Amino acid sequence: MAALLEVRDLHVAYGQIDAVRGVSFDVDAGQVVALIGSNGAGKTTTLRTLSGLQRASGGEVRLDGDRIDRLAAHEIVARGVAHAPEGRRLFPRMTIRENLDLGAYRRRDSEVEADVAMVYDLFPILAERRAQAAGTLSGGEQQMLAIGRALMSRPRLLMLDEPSMGLSPLVMRTIFSTLSELKTRGTTLLLVEQNAQAALGLADSGHVLETGRIVLSGTGADLLRDEGVRKAYLGED
Amino acid sequence: MRLHRPPPVAVAGAVALVVGCLSPWATFAGFPGKMSLGGFPGGARLFCLLLVAGAVLFVVDVGGRRRAALATAIGATAVVVVNLVALVDQGGDIGSVSWGAWLALAGGGALVAAAWRLPSGHPPPEEWRRRPAAIEVAVLATGLLALLGAVVWGLEIEESSRFVSFLVFLTFSAVALHHLGLFSGLGVLFNRYPRIAMLLGAAVAVAFPFTQQGNAYWIRVFASIGVFAVAAIGLNVVVGLAGLLDLGYVAFFGVGAYVGALLANASLTTVHVHLPFLLVVLLGGCVAAVFGLVIGLPTLRLRGDYLAIVTLGFGEIFRITANNWDGLTRGPNGISGVPDLAVGGFDFGASHSLLGVTLPGFANYYFVELVLIAGAIVVFTRLNDSRIGRAWVAIREDEVAAAASGIDTIRLKLLAFAIGAFLAGAAGTVNAHVTTQVSPDSYTFLESILLVAAVVLGGMGTVPGALLGSTALFVLPEKLRSFQDMRLLLFGAALILVMRFRPEGLVPSRRRRRELREEAPEGVPGLAGATGAPPGGPVS
Amino acid sequence: MRQFVQQLVNGTVLGATYGLIALGYTMVYGIIQLINFAHGEIFMVGAFGGLTVYRYWLPESLAGNVWVALPAVLIVAIAVSVGTAVLMERLAYRPLRNAPRLAPLITAIGVSIFLQEAVRLFYPGGKRQQPFPQLISSGTFDVAGVTVAWVSVFVVVVAVALMVALQVFVKKTKTGKAMRATSQDPESAKLMGIDINRVIVVTFVLGAALAAVAGVMQGMRFAQIDFRIGFLSGLKAFTAAVLGGIGNITGAVLGGFLLGIVEALATQYVPQGSSWKDVWAFIVLIAVLVVRPGGLLGERVATRA
Repeated sequence: MAALLEVRDLHVAYGQIDAVRGVSFDVDAGQVVALIGSNGAGKTTTLRTLSGLQRASGGEVRLDGDRIDRLAAHEIVARGVAHAPEGRRLFPRMTIRENLDLGAYRRRDSEVEADVAMVYDLFPILAERRAQAAGTLSGGEQQMLAIGRALMSRPRLLMLDEPSMGLSPLVMRTIFSTLSELKTRGTTLLLVEQNAQAALGLADSGHVLETGRIVLSGTGADLLRDEGVRKAYLGED
Repeated sequence: MRLHRPPPVAVAGAVALVVGCLSPWATFAGFPGKMSLGGFPGGARLFCLLLVAGAVLFVVDVGGRRRAALATAIGATAVVVVNLVALVDQGGDIGSVSWGAWLALAGGGALVAAAWRLPSGHPPPEEWRRRPAAIEVAVLATGLLALLGAVVWGLEIEESSRFVSFLVFLTFSAVALHHLGLFSGLGVLFNRYPRIAMLLGAAVAVAFPFTQQGNAYWIRVFASIGVFAVAAIGLNVVVGLAGLLDLGYVAFFGVGAYVGALLANASLTTVHVHLPFLLVVLLGGCVAAVFGLVIGLPTLRLRGDYLAIVTLGFGEIFRITANNWDGLTRGPNGISGVPDLAVGGFDFGASHSLLGVTLPGFANYYFVELVLIAGAIVVFTRLNDSRIGRAWVAIREDEVAAAASGIDTIRLKLLAFAIGAFLAGAAGTVNAHVTTQVSPDSYTFLESILLVAAVVLGGMGTVPGALLGSTALFVLPEKLRSFQDMRLLLFGAALILVMRFRPEGLVPSRRRRRELREEAPEGVPGLAGATGAPPGGPVS
Repeated sequence: MRQFVQQLVNGTVLGATYGLIALGYTMVYGIIQLINFAHGEIFMVGAFGGLTVYRYWLPESLAGNVWVALPAVLIVAIAVSVGTAVLMERLAYRPLRNAPRLAPLITAIGVSIFLQEAVRLFYPGGKRQQPFPQLISSGTFDVAGVTVAWVSVFVVVVAVALMVALQVFVKKTKTGKAMRATSQDPESAKLMGIDINRVIVVTFVLGAALAAVAGVMQGMRFAQIDFRIGFLSGLKAFTAAVLGGIGNITGAVLGGFLLGIVEALATQYVPQGSSWKDVWAFIVLIAVLVVRPGGLLGERVATRA
């Protein structure tokens, strides 16, 4: 069976500069896949291209076997890909509830209320502050809302860009335990992280990006054991 | 040089065009250029015939020949089409078109098809091979003389259809030459011998009135263009260099004009003072510059688009004030009867004879304006190449970053405003004499827009752009009388189209072209993982 | 005192028109940060659209019937304005979405001139003032010595109703929320599945519809229109939008009424006020931008659109 998401030889360029140069990987349904690498490796650009914010200059992206690399961002969302972008990018002057409603913008079914309750269940703090403007939340709460908002579209593939960025270790642990909760529920996750330890601990498989290319792939556990990965990304000598 | 065997279609097309251009195009007499007669390329047929010369490109191997050949072929075809339309319009029906035109049309079509199928080939060389300085200067001089020739030739054409044909001819020739690398080559030479080039340019400009054989009409038009061009260069300092869109710029011009008129002891005036002209020019510039500072001081910290609207507001306030302040400006009547300049017994209003050519009075003003233009060019280029110029670039690209790296942005923006205003004011004082009267309705919003358009169409940030833009905006309406009423409509459309397809203008500055052509960067290139700023979000 | 109240009433009526037009400026600015310079012309073509129905399409028997004529005039006015605005967005502005700021502004000026000239040249008699029908009775009534025209009542009531309706639309409906989301973060809005091109078109459509209504009102109040009416009204409405805090819907309404009142009072109480009447708006604009660039509701520039 074909993978849920297939990325083949993806190239992305900003003007003269190639940010992503021939990246290929698969995400199977129900899997958690992590992309790790340092600043400027092309992780975020890859995600932005998958969700249609950026145009690929070459290669293919398929969802369920259909090409999606020429679609507009909103059409890709409609096909079940949600993207919680880097820096959360909430709507700061709208309430938590309104942010969640916008996450369900594409949906026409009657179960939106139930999903709002599900998100509140996952992150009780959001329920307490539902009428508060998103811009007034703390960093951790904003990240929770960003994940919750992305979940509201009932995605088949949830892409998270640096969910741990700027968070205290404690809050980060909360976020990752929620992610592993999502994993046990069978949510397909594509995770971009600089925090390799946490990401690879969660992931079924992982890919290491360097200057726009995948230099190493393996299962999460394998990569965690890999000498090079430990040196470069886990700060070990 | 390697030669190619031309494709048969091209040969057939060229022959058909040549024969067509020497044959009658009209079945009725009276169409300009004796079009009903054959045997000679009268009227617009000449332009068509000249463009056939581009067919040589099928044989010789030079860089960029495909596009150049395509341009000349399309140009030749377009000339035929323009005249077909005009012939049918005048003759009343399609039967007014004679076989020569149809043959030429077919030939043009064949040439276009043949040129389309040419291989792309190699691009023209970036730079010409170095040759002895004398030859290079001669090449420059020839280029500038050709420019003068084209202007004089174009001005002599009376009929609209023929003039349109001429414009088509000129445009497509220019496009072809551009693809052959002529302009970039000339540009390199221009930069290599800037002084000589300026002198040659000045010589050509000075020569213009002598080509008019005493006829005042076009000299008068060019005298109007001259003042306008000085103001356009001044505006180009503000818009092109500092990146501040000023929609009320004509007010500075107006301030200068009122100063000039009031201090010249006009016959209908409120102030009876007569100061020496040179002093008045400086005074007009200074008063306008002070106005610029007064307006700029509170407003220049606003962001670009707000600034544009506020300057518009100031422009309107100036006009309405001039309209209402009867005690100084005589309100809507304005100051009129501004006398001609007279410096040391030399009367600027009288015609003079020089080198056997009678120069009408307007030529004197034209020469004065040339001096002003030269001054403005010096100011402009000096600024552009200085620390100040580089600081303006920084402000234009990213004001916050510029301020963060220690550039006093407000002061530099004020400086641009003041310099721009000074030039406009100085030009205004001269204009008071050229038009002999000054009234508020000459300083409307539309005039400001015309100036902005001259800069934008010509090319932001370049002197030739401002000059070309001003000239085009004045000469074209004069020439295309039959479209007179549509002038503003076409003008609005031109603004939209230029912004859409060639935002850098006709004569782009290299730097500006890069700024305008690149898409606004989404995220920082290559550092995608590192940026915290929301790409593409509102950046207020 | 009576005169003061009279001017307050006049200013309110004037301000209703400014406010309606200002909404278009403020919404478009909130979404794409463009000063849509041609918005005044959208208002103007709306008025001409309304005039066209009345003059050429309505049979004489119906033209006198307010209940037929007024809706017909309004609907066609709105259709013309909206059509023009959508074309303008699609052909002139959208291709410049990623261009530097000044490019679309210059384009907008081009569109403005183009539309004015198109009406001047191609509308029958467009070069002169055109009489506009008094669809509602031209009568007046007195309250405590203050004269109020019935048209004025109509103008204010309709304007306020539309403003409230717009607020509700933006706050409550799905499309309204999408508009607010787009104005706060267009890229994030895309990730919600919002087609921001559609949102932008909706924004232009709403602004144009309100401007068209304002155009018809203007025609009815002054009994005549010409191709130039959009320029000054547009600038004043822009001033109103800035005064209220651009991007802010409540601000635009407030700014409209305030500017109308300032203009009415200044015309009355400043010596020779009427010959300076068009200056006040500019002075207000400059003063606001210099003193409080965020506008009156500046702290809420936040709630854009």
